[in-house]
Amino acid sequence: MTSDSGTSRKVTIEFDDKITRWFMIASIGWSVVAMLVGALIAFQLNFWQMNGKFLEWITFGLFQSEGVEYLTFGRLRPLHTNAAIFAFVGNMMFCGVYYSTQRLCKTRMFSDMLSKIHFWGWQLIIVFAAVTLPAGLTRGKEYAELIWPINIMVAVIWLVFGANFFLTLKIRREKSLYVALWFYIATIITVTMLYVVNHLQIPTSLTHSYPVFAGVQDALVQWWYGHNAVAFFLTTPILGIMYYFLPKACGRPVYSYRLSIVHFWSLVFIYIWAGPHHLLNTALPKWLQVLGMFFSLMLWAPSWGGMLNGLLTLRGAWDKLRTDPVIKFFVASITFYGMSTFEGPLLSIRSVSALAHYTDWIVGHVHSGTLGWNGFMAAAMFYWMAPKLWGKPLWSKSLANMHFWIGLVGILLYVASLWFAGIIQGLMLNETDPTGTRLVNEFVQTVDKIQLLMLTRAIGGTLYLIGFVLLVVNIWKTAKSGSPVNETREVFEEIDSDKDKMTWKAAFQNDPIALTFWGLFFGILWFFLPPGASHMALLCTLGFSAYAVYRFKQNSEGWSKWYDQLSENYLPFSVLVLIAAALGGIIQIVPTITVNRAVNIEDRLQSVYTPLELAGRDVYISEGCYNCHSQMIRTLVPDVLRYGDYSRLGESIYDHPFQWGSKRTGPDLAREGGMRGDSWHYLHMLDPRSINQQSRMPNYPWLFTKKTDFKSLPGKIAVQQRLGVPFPIMTPEEIEQHAREQALEIAQGLVDEEVKIVPEKGVDEPGSPAEARDHLAGKQIIALIAYLQKLGSYEDVVPKDADPIEPRIFKPGIPDKLRMNEDSEEEVTDSEEGATTPVAQNP
Amino acid sequence: MSKKTDSSDSIILRDHTYDGIEEYDQKLPNWWLFTLYITMVWFVFAWVAYYQLPIDIPDDFEKLEGQIAVIEEKKQAELNKMMASINDESLMEMSTDTSHTAAGQAIFETKCAACHGLDLSATMAGVALPGVSLTDEEWLYGNKPLDIMKIVTNGSPDVTKGMIAWSSQLSGSEIAQVVAYILRKQSS
Repeated sequence: MTSDSGTSRKVTIEFDDKITRWFMIASIGWSVVAMLVGALIAFQLNFWQMNGKFLEWITFGLFQSEGVEYLTFGRLRPLHTNAAIFAFVGNMMFCGVYYSTQRLCKTRMFSDMLSKIHFWGWQLIIVFAAVTLPAGLTRGKEYAELIWPINIMVAVIWLVFGANFFLTLKIRREKSLYVALWFYIATIITVTMLYVVNHLQIPTSLTHSYPVFAGVQDALVQWWYGHNAVAFFLTTPILGIMYYFLPKACGRPVYSYRLSIVHFWSLVFIYIWAGPHHLLNTALPKWLQVLGMFFSLMLWAPSWGGMLNGLLTLRGAWDKLRTDPVIKFFVASITFYGMSTFEGPLLSIRSVSALAHYTDWIVGHVHSGTLGWNGFMAAAMFYWMAPKLWGKPLWSKSLANMHFWIGLVGILLYVASLWFAGIIQGLMLNETDPTGTRLVNEFVQTVDKIQLLMLTRAIGGTLYLIGFVLLVVNIWKTAKSGSPVNETREVFEEIDSDKDKMTWKAAFQNDPIALTFWGLFFGILWFFLPPGASHMALLCTLGFSAYAVYRFKQNSEGWSKWYDQLSENYLPFSVLVLIAAALGGIIQIVPTITVNRAVNIEDRLQSVYTPLELAGRDVYISEGCYNCHSQMIRTLVPDVLRYGDYSRLGESIYDHPFQWGSKRTGPDLAREGGMRGDSWHYLHMLDPRSINQQSRMPNYPWLFTKKTDFKSLPGKIAVQQRLGVPFPIMTPEEIEQHAREQALEIAQGLVDEEVKIVPEKGVDEPGSPAEARDHLAGKQIIALIAYLQKLGSYEDVVPKDADPIEPRIFKPGIPDKLRMNEDSEEEVTDSEEGATTPVAQNP
Repeated sequence: MSKKTDSSDSIILRDHTYDGIEEYDQKLPNWWLFTLYITMVWFVFAWVAYYQLPIDIPDDFEKLEGQIAVIEEKKQAELNKMMASINDESLMEMSTDTSHTAAGQAIFETKCAACHGLDLSATMAGVALPGVSLTDEEWLYGNKPLDIMKIVTNGSPDVTKGMIAWSSQLSGSEIAQVVAYILRKQSS
């Protein structure tokens, strides 16, 4: 190499477009699968027979079943979400990333082998998911249901992808990183962090594990993950794709570079804090709810920055909207992005959430993101790329236009019907009689009321699916008419480029970083310090902010020069992204993990499960009951009137994983224990309609013949003990015996009430009551009943004498404690005098 | 950093292109910036007001417990009043008044029929339901109208083997109407 800078040499590159084609085909294929499952489970919410009994009809009675375990909503809904997120959008994202990264870096991917491992590994993961989830193998945490061996595969394959991507950045021939690459960097780094933390777990067998976090901690970690899976799996990579493919397709410059900078960094920093908005009005400490809500509101503008940069890039190209289906899809996609990122902050307001949370409004909201924003973006990208990848124009423009209109009508029907459904159900659930003391509507009445809307939604979803089938045809025909093309390009390689030459000192020791650091440092102290000190911290933050503005005005050239240089150096850039994305999670999660341990629970502590109840809980999780039933009575009057006293933080503190739920298609179960008799549950699980004709719940006949897994209990309890759940010390034999005895007791009670016994296949019906009891005792239904009857039981915690929280500077105090502490003297006497009577006690 | 300007107006077009993609460097829209700033300022004000100023904003638990206490008190007062004004005779009388029994029937069918059956026999299509039959002569907790009223109000002593306390979901007069309906069905 010569030392002459500025000289360059010509290089010919062949891009790896094969991997792009593969990912594209995979994405399209899985999209149809994900949407088919989605349509099925949508119809299940209208017709309980869709949980398996419909097979009787389509086989003309050849196949007899009251319900098929592999087809219930509880098991298929995780399959639907995982397929849509990781299979459809995942593959689409990889397709876009591989295509654009090679071109933006002017180099082929670092390693074809890594690309191939990534591709086949990812498809294998999806196949495993498609087998395990319907089989009831699940971790019971939303979008993180896959069992631990698959988690490891995901982590490994993701690292392969990450390595391949970063090594490609390293060998790039383009000095400066384009904004699309910033978003890809943020995606890879943050998803790694989220995935690893939310999947920390201890296995009990090859297919089962318990997450290390429990109760409120698990809830917080789960929604930090869940919310940011939306942010960094469904949003940032798609924004990156938008930044590359939209200007390409419309041939216009990106609207504003500085808007890219501001909205990128604010998005990456703020998004991560917003997770607690999934837990508003719950037992989550208030300060986290407040942070979650306000950061969600602050997220509105950064999100819209992306929308603006997309839509305004189209200025001067709007005429193409009429003629080019690709532009149509782009515009609709970005518009849906704008709409759902406005709706998101709105739903994060605590009072709005009080109405909307647990209803179908939320379901509509996420679908306007996945179907509207991601799905249409995918379509735009595929229609634009296919002609380039196969060297022939798109087979049919008018078919693509038809796809657009069918899809648009579908998604609009979908979203609008769920707006109505959610609001109607929310209002009905809150409706009280004129005295304001009693609720008017039974839960099932509210479900019944929205049936027509739910049907409209299922039809809307089906239309959207039909649109994608048209895409399959169109791409297939295009591919068949052409042949695979790998683009070859001549580029000029700069010899002795000064890319990646920035020193760490130059990257980090400068005004923008220093002022941001100090501003944030004091901002965080402001949350945690006791009154007085916190005011000072706030003043410092404001001071630094003002000083930052002053310095920027003085030397804006210097600041932009630094940033331009930073974007020529991928490593410091990536480190900054990591810091920005990690901060919110650390601040929110660490105090709750370290401070809110069971000893700090104030009034109630969950009773530890008996071995049988734990077995029942695993059945509950395995069947995916949490997909329709919450276990969280919010601090809201209608919730308390309907379900009993509000849930305390300590009442789920031993739940690995937590089961607070996120949607109520059925009623809350937090205090279900002791509400009804065992025989009620028995009949209800066998045939919900025998108890309530309007019920949409599936039948669970297999729970009456499948055996409870007593043998695995000692191992499971050992793991729970390791995780800090105070199970009494028992030998493995004692554990099994205890479980069997409790099962016999429940079975005896049921036999006394002469319940219908479901015989196993090929086994005679038990004759005597004693035989019936022994037959019943070993079945999963008994364990499940034991668990359901335990729900809501707790022990009162004797308040420790005067143990005020001392404001400690270096230990994170909790803002809520400090607040109470502030006026504690008055408050204590107040509350003792006006002693509020506990309500709706449930032993 | 050199920049050139777009010919049509004074918008800056950056001179670097990426795979043919150009970038303008336009000013941030003011309304957009204001949206960002307002949400930030609002956050600071709200946090300070709630956590750091001695303003008496009740926390969620206080507020909720206060509201619920008022509701419970109202409920209890209504129930007490009802219980005081009612006796075996007046309940029997209500059972002959179709306006009461019709209301009672409507309540029975939404709340009670799930366990006691639409025809009070505690069976549906021949299958036994969890509740006890209300059509026979056997009463577990006393057969006087007031006894029935009490068991409906307070629930069974052991709820896992019996009925919940309906006073949480029904008012005193509604319970009386349901009892009147049961009495009517008994006598018919």
